[in-house]
Amino acid sequence: MKRAIAAISMAVSLTAGPVPTQAADTPAAVPGFKYVRTVGSISEYTLEANGLTVLLMPDRSAPVVTFMVTYMVGSRNEVTGTTGATHLLEHLMFKGSDAFNDDKGNSVKQYLETVGGNYNATTWLDRTNYYAVVGKEFLEGYVAIEADRMRNLWLREEDRQREMTVVRNEFEQGENDPHQALDVQINAAAITAHPYHHSTIGWRSDIENVPIEKLRAFYDTFYWPNNATVSVIGDFEPAAVLNLIKKYYGPFPQSPQPIQTIYTAEPEQQGERRVTLRRAGELGIVGIAYKSVAGSDADFPALNMLGTILGSGKTSRFYKALTDTNLTLGATASAGFFHDPHLFQVYAFLAPGVEHSQVEKVVLEEIERIKKDGVSDAEVATALGKYKAATAYGRDGTFSIAGNLNESIAAGDWTLYYTVDDATAKVTAADIKRVANKYLDTKKSATGWFIPVPPEAAGAAK
Amino acid sequence: MRFFSALIACVTVLLASPGARASVASDTVRADVGGIDVVALRTSVQDVVNVVGSLPAGDDRSPIDDVMLATLTGAMLDKGTRAQDKFAIAQRLGGVGATLSFSVDTNTLEIRGRCLRKDLPMLIELMAEQLRSPAFSEQEFEKLKVQLQGAVRQQQQDTDFRAGDAFSRAIYPVGHPNRQPTAEQMLADMSKTTIAAVRQFHEKYYGPTGMRLVIVGDVDSVAAQAEVRKAFSGWTGGSLPPIATSVDAAAEARTEAVFMADKTSVSVVLGQATRLRFSDPDSLALRLGTRIFGSGFAGRLMANVRDKEGLTYGIGAFLSGDSFTDGDWRIQAAFAPTLLDKGLASTRRQLDAWHAEGITDAELARARSELAGTYQVGLATSAGMAGTILAMLNRGMPLEFVDEYPARVKAITRDEVNGAIRKHLDPATMTLVKAGTVGTAGAPAATQPPVETR
Repeated sequence: MKRAIAAISMAVSLTAGPVPTQAADTPAAVPGFKYVRTVGSISEYTLEANGLTVLLMPDRSAPVVTFMVTYMVGSRNEVTGTTGATHLLEHLMFKGSDAFNDDKGNSVKQYLETVGGNYNATTWLDRTNYYAVVGKEFLEGYVAIEADRMRNLWLREEDRQREMTVVRNEFEQGENDPHQALDVQINAAAITAHPYHHSTIGWRSDIENVPIEKLRAFYDTFYWPNNATVSVIGDFEPAAVLNLIKKYYGPFPQSPQPIQTIYTAEPEQQGERRVTLRRAGELGIVGIAYKSVAGSDADFPALNMLGTILGSGKTSRFYKALTDTNLTLGATASAGFFHDPHLFQVYAFLAPGVEHSQVEKVVLEEIERIKKDGVSDAEVATALGKYKAATAYGRDGTFSIAGNLNESIAAGDWTLYYTVDDATAKVTAADIKRVANKYLDTKKSATGWFIPVPPEAAGAAK
Repeated sequence: MRFFSALIACVTVLLASPGARASVASDTVRADVGGIDVVALRTSVQDVVNVVGSLPAGDDRSPIDDVMLATLTGAMLDKGTRAQDKFAIAQRLGGVGATLSFSVDTNTLEIRGRCLRKDLPMLIELMAEQLRSPAFSEQEFEKLKVQLQGAVRQQQQDTDFRAGDAFSRAIYPVGHPNRQPTAEQMLADMSKTTIAAVRQFHEKYYGPTGMRLVIVGDVDSVAAQAEVRKAFSGWTGGSLPPIATSVDAAAEARTEAVFMADKTSVSVVLGQATRLRFSDPDSLALRLGTRIFGSGFAGRLMANVRDKEGLTYGIGAFLSGDSFTDGDWRIQAAFAPTLLDKGLASTRRQLDAWHAEGITDAELARARSELAGTYQVGLATSAGMAGTILAMLNRGMPLEFVDEYPARVKAITRDEVNGAIRKHLDPATMTLVKAGTVGTAGAPAATQPPVETR
């Protein structure tokens, strides 16, 4: 029953960066780069010609390198008509340029699959990243292609047409899952003005109809060195890799216009909101989203610990109150780690025959209990133990490190990779009670129910 | 129960071989510890230890009229022991961020643990306690049944699961371990399973014989084995995996539609039983050919059906279910309902061309080059390495195979690949299963009897 158990215990854990595994190298002095700072094992540089940020984390335990470029553009940069554009553009970034393309046999996928690289790209609310893990001798070949597509992408209409249906199928696959579909609805209800309102995949009609000109405008607005961070983790010499980056990224100018900033702030919510999703299915879901904070906020670590105490494993409050009583198959709680204030979300997956109202009532009672009585020091210690271990597990391989670092970059400050650890270690039971009272306010919540319609009824209605 | 996620993992594990060391086999410390095959390997990761293991107490041990017995037994292991309840165990593990889980698949009870270096003795101690002396509380058993009934019903919402599930019943005959029981049978059998039957199953199949543990990471290999010896001292029993027998599979083309209301994407499986096990001579050549056909963005399926024609988000081909018995070959994909016919036609065009014409020299050269790189990259995590070692050993391969694998693949010729494709696969007799809002509402999900017999 592996798959089933995994599906009902979808614990969402945010793992900030690992503690330093080794001392950082002495800062490299390479003409053209300005050394900025070293925090933990990571040194930051700026390519002076165009403002590209470079983060280097040498780790010579294996002869591989993870190279990742993170663009500060995500679905938060989209507006009506372009939702999903960041993600569609990410797909089109694999379609080639004059220098690197399928016909020449040297496209990014052809190169990386020939050298056995582990590669991909991902888009989320605040950022888009492109990465590969390669043997160190193959690094330059990848950097050449990755840098080239920063400014020289083809972006052709025929590619958009073909890729649109690919992305639409990705959307369709997500919609197949009641949990994902409910999550989209709850987010849209909880966040009304800020662009976190819509999901990264976007609305179907926007995916289908966004014109290539708007994608081009998106590319020409955000894909510039001064809106990107290159992270290199693994077996390399800092000076050599900085020279490599200068060679391939140096020729690009900085953006002709300042990178746009988001000025839309979510207005204060003045009353609870509810959404309902009815469709064919088997078991119900209750989701509750509370207005939370940005990943860089001082209250984030306490909210993250609160999520662990509520919803992580058999020691959690929800397990004891909901799952061990057979009201749910599983229940989770987590605080989103993003650039702007986001949500603290609870999900409870109903056991057969259980009413939504009953589960929602217990969830709210458990939250109220913490707001009133707080949590024990033992619970804080257990949550911290889980956090510290997860941090260590995040060191298992250069790619894992890159993935965590990427989210700190996206949150607006890469040093969060380390500083969230320090702040988490200082969280007290009093902090957790305080943030529970401050943020888990029913008047600032959005609750969603997935109510399954019996498959027979749904089928008959067709 | 064997599910899609496990099958996909089988594909990647082949190429997730460790590197950056002269020899995995020579660096590994392996010993028979009280009947348990214990393999330990220190890697460069700091402070983290991964433990994976298996015990031949999978679903293939369940009686024909009690198909959930193995799963129920495995799932009771973390519900408390005779010495302490489940919350006390969870507190000990959770307090230090350690994880320990048990799950049952077609052939084995899988054990997975992860902890910091200092906590390995505790992890092994708890693992032994849970395996050796579960409480088998009646109350916990009744709770578990409700949870598993929910899990079975939840699976019925998933188009990928439903397609693979129906495919298993379409291509494997009654009695084959890879043939999955229906949801109806699982629910019916579960309702009547007793805790006494669980105790008897545990007594009969749980023990050191046939058990394997692989410990990888920041570990003192010899000390780890001593911990295993101490924790499992005096344990007896267990059994070797059953001897697999190939069973004739369906040899005629068939198409099945599993109707699921309100689905926006249709999951598709197209394939056949192969009668091949991983350890069979042609298996590696067929795997290499399948990789060229259906793996990665540059593989033929993704390059054409997705990249050139834009018909799907994801499509791939792989061999599965062949570690302990003969398995199958399948293409797995998803299409929008409106693009389903076009997508299937494109898929079949690629399949027919690959089968008729085989792979090219250029494709073989690229696959070999890829393998060299992947071998280097695949060392990246201790968790991946532990899984690779366990999978190879469970497939009946020697530890040395992990080191020899790249060279063995590089020695495979184009003729051997194309010969294996034509010898073992036949597109004309493959089975197609579609799951989603296709076909007719109310039609049977599969043309199988509701009660399974093994």
